[in-house]
Amino acid sequence: MSKALRSLALLIGIAAIATACSSDSESNQQSDRVVTVFGAYRAAEAEGFRQVLARFTEETGIATSYVGTAAFAERIRERVREGDLPDVALFPQPAILVDMARAGLLTPLEGALGARVRDGYSQGVAELATVDGTLYGAWFRLSLKSLVWYPPQVFAEQGYQIPPSWDELLLLTTQMRRDGFTPWCLGMEAFDATGWVGTDWIENIVLRLHGPEIYDQWTAGEIPFTDDRIRQAFTLFGEIALTPGQVAGGTRSILTVPAFRAIDPMFDEPAGCLLTRQTSSQVIELPSGIRTGPEGDVDVFVLPPIHGEEAPLLAAGEVAAAFSTSDEALALVSYLADPRSGEPWARLGGYNSPHQGFDITTHGNQFEAQLAELVRQADVVRFDGSDLMAVAVGTGTFWQGMIDYVAGVDLDSVLLNIQQGYGPLPP
Amino acid sequence: MSKSTHESAAGSEPANEPLTQSDHRRGADVAPASSPRDSSDGTRSRVRRLSAVGSLLGNLIHSKTWDDDERTRILGELFFEGPEWRPFLSRFVVLTVLSTTLAAFGLIANSAAVVIGAMLIAPLMTPILATAASLVHGQIDRLAVSLLVLTGGTLLAIAAGWAVSWLTAATLTAEELTPELLSRATPSLLDLGVAIAAGLAAGYIVTNSQAGSSLPGVAIAVALVPPLGTAGISLELGATAEAEGALLLFATNLVVIILSAMIVMLASGFVPSDIRIMVRGRVNLGLFVATLGVIGVAIPLTAYTLDVFADQHFTREVISQVREWDPSGRIVELSADIGASRATVEIVMASSQEPVPAWRLAELLAAESDLPVDVRVQYRIENRDEATAD
Repeated sequence: MSKALRSLALLIGIAAIATACSSDSESNQQSDRVVTVFGAYRAAEAEGFRQVLARFTEETGIATSYVGTAAFAERIRERVREGDLPDVALFPQPAILVDMARAGLLTPLEGALGARVRDGYSQGVAELATVDGTLYGAWFRLSLKSLVWYPPQVFAEQGYQIPPSWDELLLLTTQMRRDGFTPWCLGMEAFDATGWVGTDWIENIVLRLHGPEIYDQWTAGEIPFTDDRIRQAFTLFGEIALTPGQVAGGTRSILTVPAFRAIDPMFDEPAGCLLTRQTSSQVIELPSGIRTGPEGDVDVFVLPPIHGEEAPLLAAGEVAAAFSTSDEALALVSYLADPRSGEPWARLGGYNSPHQGFDITTHGNQFEAQLAELVRQADVVRFDGSDLMAVAVGTGTFWQGMIDYVAGVDLDSVLLNIQQGYGPLPP
Repeated sequence: MSKSTHESAAGSEPANEPLTQSDHRRGADVAPASSPRDSSDGTRSRVRRLSAVGSLLGNLIHSKTWDDDERTRILGELFFEGPEWRPFLSRFVVLTVLSTTLAAFGLIANSAAVVIGAMLIAPLMTPILATAASLVHGQIDRLAVSLLVLTGGTLLAIAAGWAVSWLTAATLTAEELTPELLSRATPSLLDLGVAIAAGLAAGYIVTNSQAGSSLPGVAIAVALVPPLGTAGISLELGATAEAEGALLLFATNLVVIILSAMIVMLASGFVPSDIRIMVRGRVNLGLFVATLGVIGVAIPLTAYTLDVFADQHFTREVISQVREWDPSGRIVELSADIGASRATVEIVMASSQEPVPAWRLAELLAAESDLPVDVRVQYRIENRDEATAD
């Protein structure tokens, strides 16, 4: 009798487990579609982006899974080759997005969705992600690339002023050397993306030397690197990077010092350098305990103009686009186009919005609100040229060219090699 | 003459009974600790229980009788009293500074032999045992003096470590501490075990003059000066986490030795029975505070130990995932650290094949650990070649 009872209990148990399993798997199929996201944010930046994704999940019920890589340009092409596509990617280089859209890999944002995304931006900004008249993506984060970071306390002690022009900047660095300081910190190492810090320098100088029209023609490939105007920009950069005594650790160290660690010697006692040009993302890569702002350990000024009085701004950022055609993936892209989407990250620090309508008070600190104000006030803002140029040049020969130039290769060969990224030169 | 000890240690128990029988009876008395009869007088019940343990230990470790002269002699060696206190104190100061200086040099030079040498001349055990002795005798004045000497010695030792680190500037950085230093900066529950055994031994040796020559062994095992030297060096280098670890190790040794030594002193009949009865309240309070101290260090030690276990478990997980991620590669170096909110993995791989992207490993590990994982991979190309020529 007890044996029969036991068998019955066993049967009921098995049936119960089987029912539970089948109901589980059904509900999984319905609600647990995870949107896979691929981007370039890692470590601290990834933490900020995860907060954004967490709020997306909270508001929509759509789960996400994020993976970030240091070598996005290389890895995303690898994934395309292998047919292993993420649902959504955040492209730091719009040029790669353009290539992939043209290859039919990305999902266009059409109809009401497209209109909503387009409406979220001020005039012209949505064009970054527009390919042959079709919108593919949403500019999610903006970083500023024309910032010079400096220690305000040392400036005050030494009586140094923020230089209003390029010539004044050069006079200031001469004065610094006379006072026994090394003016610049400069590091370019960034895994497979080594070289981008150098391309930012050249772009900033071209924009300052020749203005936005020439800059646009150059980034569109209409003015070659071998042009004298571009050559002139390289020479001005060389006066800083290649001149002995200008860079902490010497020119040889530039290629081995990680891009965001270059600033560290500025906080040594005595300061190892007094200037470094780096993007606004540096703010979350500062050594711990470093305070920002005019009263703090480090502050910023805009790299001064070469002609005129207004300094143009160079900006960059990540554009979100969907490989997948699923509603969930498109919902995420549309969400990232919303000015409010970046708020959790802004509170944490390290996020600037490309939206004019972004609420500046959301920023976790005064310093970043001040950066946002800089963007609002600038007359000329241009997107990072290397991210717009044809992929073979922008994330290929241009990066390599900067490595070669700093390593001592002669300038004519450097420029010729970069230009050859567009294809063989005519004889 | 073991009679007096039995009486003092076991309170009202008849002293001459065989151990097994008296033990049995005590067990019957102690077990229903929550019975109304016992709970009506909790203090007495606790004393009885402690006395029971004490008597058992006393039976095990007690092999001789005590007379007042011997007690006075032993206590005289522990306390800085009488006309000799000045040379006594100056000897203590000199030896503390010298031993920590020696230990600090040994730690920086990564020489275990020098560090052991330093432990042999370290005098810190004296005020620690004096603290235990004054607690079991319920002597507030002596306790105050012992704690003062102990605190002074501790600060002096940290200062000496700091000074040596300052003098040998540029030998070390906070990121590159020697293994000798690191072993003092990451204490675990094992160190608690070492401290308990060493504390019992120290108490035993002090109350048993025939075993006096073994005290250096205790000093080496329990190591008071090296953690203080490590704390001083770490503070000078700005390595606060390491300094905290070293201070925790010192605190562990300190409180555990005090408690263990108190137990042995009580159990061995070192404290005369009349004094024991007179100051029972104070002694119990002392035992209670020392026990709280041990619990206080056991909590962070457990946390440290769990951290180490979690990292080891995660490391095994990483190794198995790496095999799946890059079957043709070989791990050359691996460091895996898992925290409450994220994990980090740094790995050096050697492979003759194309490197596999790091993000795939990060994705595997994040799925497995349910935490964000930061991965840094460095590949070394492994080219093999062989040749022969005649």
